Amino acid sequence: MIVYNTVEDIVRICRENNMLFWQVIMRADAQERMVSEDISFAAMREMYRAMKRADSEYDKNLKSPSGLSGGDGEKMRIFNSTGNNLCGAFMGLAMEKAIKMGESNACMKRIVAAPTAGACGVIPAVFLSYETCFNAPEDKMVEAMFITAGIGAVIAKNASIAGASGGCQAEIGSASSMAAAGLAYLQGGDAECIAHAMAFALKNMLGLTCDPVCGLVEVPCIKRNSAGAVNAISSAQMAMAGIRSAITPDEVIDSMRRIGNAMPSCLKETGEGGLAITPSAQRIKETLQ
Amino acid sequence: MNIFDIIGPVMVGPSSSHTAGAAKIGYISRKLMGEEIVKAEILLYGSFLATGKGHGTRMALVAGLMGMKPDDCRIPESLNIAKRRGMEVIFGESDLKEAHPNTAQLKLTGVTGRKLEVVGESLGGSRINIAKIDGIETNFSGDYPTLVVHNIDQPGHVSEVTAMLAHKSVNIAAMQLYRSNRGGDAVMVIECDQEVPPEGIKWLEKAEGVVKVTYLSLED
Repeated sequence: MIVYNTVEDIVRICRENNMLFWQVIMRADAQERMVSEDISFAAMREMYRAMKRADSEYDKNLKSPSGLSGGDGEKMRIFNSTGNNLCGAFMGLAMEKAIKMGESNACMKRIVAAPTAGACGVIPAVFLSYETCFNAPEDKMVEAMFITAGIGAVIAKNASIAGASGGCQAEIGSASSMAAAGLAYLQGGDAECIAHAMAFALKNMLGLTCDPVCGLVEVPCIKRNSAGAVNAISSAQMAMAGIRSAITPDEVIDSMRRIGNAMPSCLKETGEGGLAITPSAQRIKETLQ
Repeated sequence: MNIFDIIGPVMVGPSSSHTAGAAKIGYISRKLMGEEIVKAEILLYGSFLATGKGHGTRMALVAGLMGMKPDDCRIPESLNIAKRRGMEVIFGESDLKEAHPNTAQLKLTGVTGRKLEVVGESLGGSRINIAKIDGIETNFSGDYPTLVVHNIDQPGHVSEVTAMLAHKSVNIAAMQLYRSNRGGDAVMVIECDQEVPPEGIKWLEKAEGVVKVTYLSLED
């Protein structure tokens, strides 16, 4: 039976059994759910394809019920196509896809929570853009999806993936670190490199609060998906360059839990602090009532 | 931990805790009721109360109580669908103390008059915890076939139930025991690796000292 509770557990199991990071996660899933590894792989492929469908079903004309969100993903697409993109084709496309997915979610369309709905844009933005820009085979993308899932499971176990418990660091922060880990694998990184990509991405997001305007998963959530995607890409690139985190990956996760516990409740999805109580937010609130 | 609670579920937005988790609490409650729900008093607590409206929490809970899953595209329309079906829905504030921030207290009446009260917590990423049934602590995720037996607190009931499960070749994944006071109301929560056959549940319902049997089947 494969059991892992920490990132270090996964790295150790890889080393002792000469397995790849994603294989450890898939085998543990197959054993836990008493299914074959083929069934586990097919289930993850289905999740990846559901992300693709959600991306392709983006509707630039939709507005969220509050009227706050919609159409910004299309603005990014148009800007990227003008050739004025500041940060290269891959990162530009990831930003566009992240915003599109966040808007689809706000408009009550069907998405894949990864790990949450508020953060649903980060992983598909990075992965679908990578597949497109680097011509990666789908099987390889599905393998990397297992890595994101394994990292997310460790974070959920040792910290939190809910904004109401840990703030936005637990949502966009978790998604960004999951995506960074998967991206490091896609680029050829070994288990240690994957773990440090995850650590960089999460460290950069520590302390991020959950203070959405009117309590809706719209402002600032949608654009934070773009920030999470960009952070994932830069974190994977640092790890691939051989840079290593001075704080171990599991200690970063522990820190996230402690920071989340210390965070006042007005900054944890209650709509009572931060951006949610600014004059602009109050004006929006009045127009909605 | 099921990794498809991390990557997944496929769901209708906008919030995994406040929309999908809420729908799942409703759906599991409907399964626990075992029959159509005709009246639902839905009492919200914490963040569910403060920000639930903008997240569609109310719509999602009602959709779940009608048997809709979190990826059902009819969730945004659920309040109208409930009205058309003649289901009575009342919303209010829960008076629970120190509960989880995302908590719903559901007071339900079934089509045969069966009553059920469920306290459900949404833990994030659409994972949930059924914290209380009929006022007694429970704590289960709804990810396993789950048997909840309310009985009088007296010797022998645990072995009766586990003997029945052994006889039906059902393996126990987790088991919890709670009671209100010595000799008072007790509850067993048994999460299983296999489905408990209907004849096993019928037998339990008739067993002496058993007050109520509630069963969560994962089969559709």
